[in-house]
Amino acid sequence: MCDALGIINFEDACVDITGLMDYRPASAISFLGRYRLIDFMLSNMTNSGISQIEVFIKDKPRSLIEHLGNGRQYNINSKRGRLSILYGENRIMSEVYNHDIANFMDNIQYIEEVNKPYVIIAPSYMIYQIDFNEVLKYHAEKNSDVTVIYKSTDNAKEEFIGCDTLSMDKDKRIVAFEKNRGKYKTRNVSLEAYVMTKKLFLELVRKAANTSSLYWFKDILADSCDDLRINGYAFKGTVYCINSLRSYFKANIELRTHAKARELFKEDWPIHTRTNDSAPSQYMPEAKIRGCSIANGCHIEGNVENCVIGRNVIIKRGAVVKNSVILPGAYIGEGAKLDHVIVDKAAIVNHVKKLVGTDDSPIYVKRRDRI
Amino acid sequence: MKQNNMVAMILAGGRGSRLLDLTKKVAKPAVYFGGKYRIIDFPLSNCANSGISVVGVLTQYESVLLNSYVARDHHWGLDARDSGVFVLPPREKDKTGLGLYRGTADAITQNIDFLDQMEAEYVLILSGDHIYKMDYAKMLAHHKANNADATIAVLAVPLKEASRFGIMNTDETDRIIEFEEKPAKPKSNLASMGIYIFNYKTLRKYLTADEKDPNSEHDFGKDIIPAFLRDNKVLTAYRFKGYWKDVGTIDSLWEANMDLLNPDNELDLGDSQWKIYTEDVPTPPQFIGEEAVVENCYINQGCIVNGNVKNSVLFTNVEVGSGAQVVDSVIMPNAVIGEGAKVTRCIVADNVEISPGAVVGHKDSEHIELIAKKRVK
Repeated sequence: MCDALGIINFEDACVDITGLMDYRPASAISFLGRYRLIDFMLSNMTNSGISQIEVFIKDKPRSLIEHLGNGRQYNINSKRGRLSILYGENRIMSEVYNHDIANFMDNIQYIEEVNKPYVIIAPSYMIYQIDFNEVLKYHAEKNSDVTVIYKSTDNAKEEFIGCDTLSMDKDKRIVAFEKNRGKYKTRNVSLEAYVMTKKLFLELVRKAANTSSLYWFKDILADSCDDLRINGYAFKGTVYCINSLRSYFKANIELRTHAKARELFKEDWPIHTRTNDSAPSQYMPEAKIRGCSIANGCHIEGNVENCVIGRNVIIKRGAVVKNSVILPGAYIGEGAKLDHVIVDKAAIVNHVKKLVGTDDSPIYVKRRDRI
Repeated sequence: MKQNNMVAMILAGGRGSRLLDLTKKVAKPAVYFGGKYRIIDFPLSNCANSGISVVGVLTQYESVLLNSYVARDHHWGLDARDSGVFVLPPREKDKTGLGLYRGTADAITQNIDFLDQMEAEYVLILSGDHIYKMDYAKMLAHHKANNADATIAVLAVPLKEASRFGIMNTDETDRIIEFEEKPAKPKSNLASMGIYIFNYKTLRKYLTADEKDPNSEHDFGKDIIPAFLRDNKVLTAYRFKGYWKDVGTIDSLWEANMDLLNPDNELDLGDSQWKIYTEDVPTPPQFIGEEAVVENCYINQGCIVNGNVKNSVLFTNVEVGSGAQVVDSVIMPNAVIGEGAKVTRCIVADNVEISPGAVVGHKDSEHIELIAKKRVK
């Protein structure tokens, strides 16, 4: 039991997963063959015992609503718990005003009426495994007003670009928020996951709305460093920040090996997702597969190396697919050659022409495209 | 949505003792099949896909696992307002006390109150341990079109094997005129699949009479069907074409799994229009390692393969260590094949651990070896 309302926030402009986000919000992007990005944070919440969760959507809601359904797959008691999907109807057409504060304000009654003393707010594009009970405990021990979960990284030149970074005093009190512009190697990066009382959260939301109609929640938090005890909680585990096509590609490719995936998937911490009832995957006698993570329902005849293969993907004879991320339902025809390619859902790559990208700029094949 | 008033009753009480240790703690319908399923997923999914809303499951032998498994009716989508999977093990009764199900027919007789309560018009009797896909709605349409009192699904088997089955002898309109259980000299090759549709009112009368008959074995094949025939009731055969297996032995269970390696197999588990639903286990995808070789395999989610796997079926969360060789085998959920171990022509039961370097099974063995001891050195 966790005495908090869980809020899954949507991403701001620092997340731009080019191509993939044309069709769905970041939270609904397919990840590691059988998941959507949001599954990880939702599973963190329900595994921590949070039973009331509100998911905020900025735009393009279809894919996410379909995936979440009534939330049963996330292991929430269907009477005592609830997964709500909320969005700001008035804002959807107006990009600059469509920020989290506006959406919180539009739905403030639904936040108010949840009978929980705390809120835990987190985005879905940061992938890691965390027990929020530990964070709540720390929050109480430190007598904090707000706890911000952060990750110390020495790879801030490459990763977490555009994310908030924290300046903290010796006591882990946050004195300022800055932006990671990739200038420094070592940074404390905010995972944009915050713990506070619901009362304070609502106060901050209202204050933000009164301060500026362009304010995001992170802006009002940054304004409040002097007035509030905002403390950092160091998260020690593995974090994947999926905020660009490059980082999306890199995270998938890294997690295709069990050795890496093991850091993210713990036996007592299941990552829940919506089942598709696919049959097991079929590997034909002529198939050659090495170093791959593969979801169910696939039919593989070709040569597949170092790839992430999504559900119900078909790879025909003579196809050679290397270092690529193939999303669910894609079809790779006979003899196709792919290297460093992201193939979006249900695309058909029937040809011959070699598609070769690089680690830094993988080629992106659009959803339902035909090549 | 309630689509028709046919109630399915799945007979799931049998042990299947020739499956040896696989059915020591679970009834045969709960035995694993096809990389991620249990056998009973097939009749349950068929019911769901055929638009049947109410399914009773009659359990008896080692029913704890099976009862809790089928009770989670949302796995098959049978959790709408008008639908449900109802677990019906034997129970204590007012006058008769606790009575076990004495036969297939008796299991239904003892649940007449359930069928009354469900306001059944038709009753579909199914077996919980057969692997096949069938649209029972079509069978019901056939039943109605023939104004039948009972319809029996039949499968054409090779005539020389017909003496192993209950054989239906029919006239030119497929009306059943005679039923012979395992005839020495079969007159027809139409074998009963143990799938019946009855008009409930008629069946109810026969069951009530059968209950009082001291000479009855309370069996559909031996007692109820012959009684229908004696009274000149209309029994029609419904011809089924397609994959159908009653896996009675370790060898035949292995064979049925191996059938899936042929991508053109008739069972076609990948058909998105007739999915077989099962328990949803939250596992990561499968990982095929850098040095792994997978050739002609059927592998489920959660597996970690670092060795060589050939002509085999791996169930959920199986681990194959590096240098291990798994050939012509079926490895059930959560089993671990240690590094360098060799597994040939085996069924490895769930949660079994084959120690590194261990060798089990043989490529020339006459029968498939069942490995069910929790740890094999």
